[in-house]
Amino acid sequence: MSGTHPNQGPQDIGGAEAGPVDTLDHGMKFWERQANGLRSTLQRNKIMRTDELRRAAEDLGSRYSELAYFEITTSALRTVLIEKGLITEHELKAKMEQIRARFNVPDEMESPLKKGASR
Amino acid sequence: MSEYKYDYYADKKLKERAGRTHDHGDHDHDHDDHAPINEHDDGPPSEFEIMSRAMQELLEEKGVITAEQVRRRMEVFEEDFPYRGSKLVARAWTDPAFRQRLLDDGKAACAEMGIDLEVDRLIAVENTPDVHNVIVCTLCSCYPRALLGMPPTWYKSRNYRSRVVFEPRAVLKEFGTVLPESVTVRVHDSNADMRYVVIPMRPEGTEGWSDEQLADMLTRDTLVGVTIPRVNAAS
Repeated sequence: MSGTHPNQGPQDIGGAEAGPVDTLDHGMKFWERQANGLRSTLQRNKIMRTDELRRAAEDLGSRYSELAYFEITTSALRTVLIEKGLITEHELKAKMEQIRARFNVPDEMESPLKKGASR
Repeated sequence: MSEYKYDYYADKKLKERAGRTHDHGDHDHDHDDHAPINEHDDGPPSEFEIMSRAMQELLEEKGVITAEQVRRRMEVFEEDFPYRGSKLVARAWTDPAFRQRLLDDGKAACAEMGIDLEVDRLIAVENTPDVHNVIVCTLCSCYPRALLGMPPTWYKSRNYRSRVVFEPRAVLKEFGTVLPESVTVRVHDSNADMRYVVIPMRPEGTEGWSDEQLADMLTRDTLVGVTIPRVNAAS
């Protein structure tokens, strides 16, 4: 059933053979809910349309099938924001560095005070 | 750290909701609920999580969006959207004139109930003794979010998107739904501007039920068409 039309994008999977459906809803991780909230806010503020995000997702090519759903949308959003000149690659890189550093906080359980207290 | 503009992890209320387990009394429906049970985030943040946060912070700094707007969207997706579709269809079950208006123009019927769909068009498709409807988005995950909340994991999955269009009966069977051979199964492929919602058949034995009782039976999966409403599931 799967077609191999030369113009077929990575998203065009309707009709392809595939395995059984995992019918359990695994919900969303917190960051996925943030990513969805961000996307939804941008659409609501008329900064971006669904089709723009889809086009950027479909341009991922072979990466499309390697990434999870919100990884695809996050990659696509990055493309769209840079294309629109709302952020630059350089700014994004610097901000990601900052956030990475922010996450890298010492674990409080590793604190000498706590270790002392539990002895 | 000085430019710490927002911290949704510190929003305890939101965090609690993220990890809540759904209390529906004694009846058991592990995957067919109105709202999903979210998984906790484990381990260090991924590059995509960091990227997503970074984009939000940059856009806040530039005044394109506010943290409050994003938080509000996260809230409505969890607290309002998942419960709207069942109310809409419960009304269609009890009010024939409304049902007709919903079938004629889904978006206008939603507006009557104060629901802004945020898409151009909604097509309501009704199940009958002869026809069963199922919805999918083969290309991505277009879904009536303003009526049902976020699509469940399986709706976005490769396997569902690929297969439901050519072997719907086999896919429905995986959801425990077996339809008589005499019933025609119609699969509707959604897109970015046009969404579908299924109006299931109202089961026998629900005469005189309130809209609330009926809405409780109209789970997300019944409105996508992968299951059918059952009296015992909502009793």
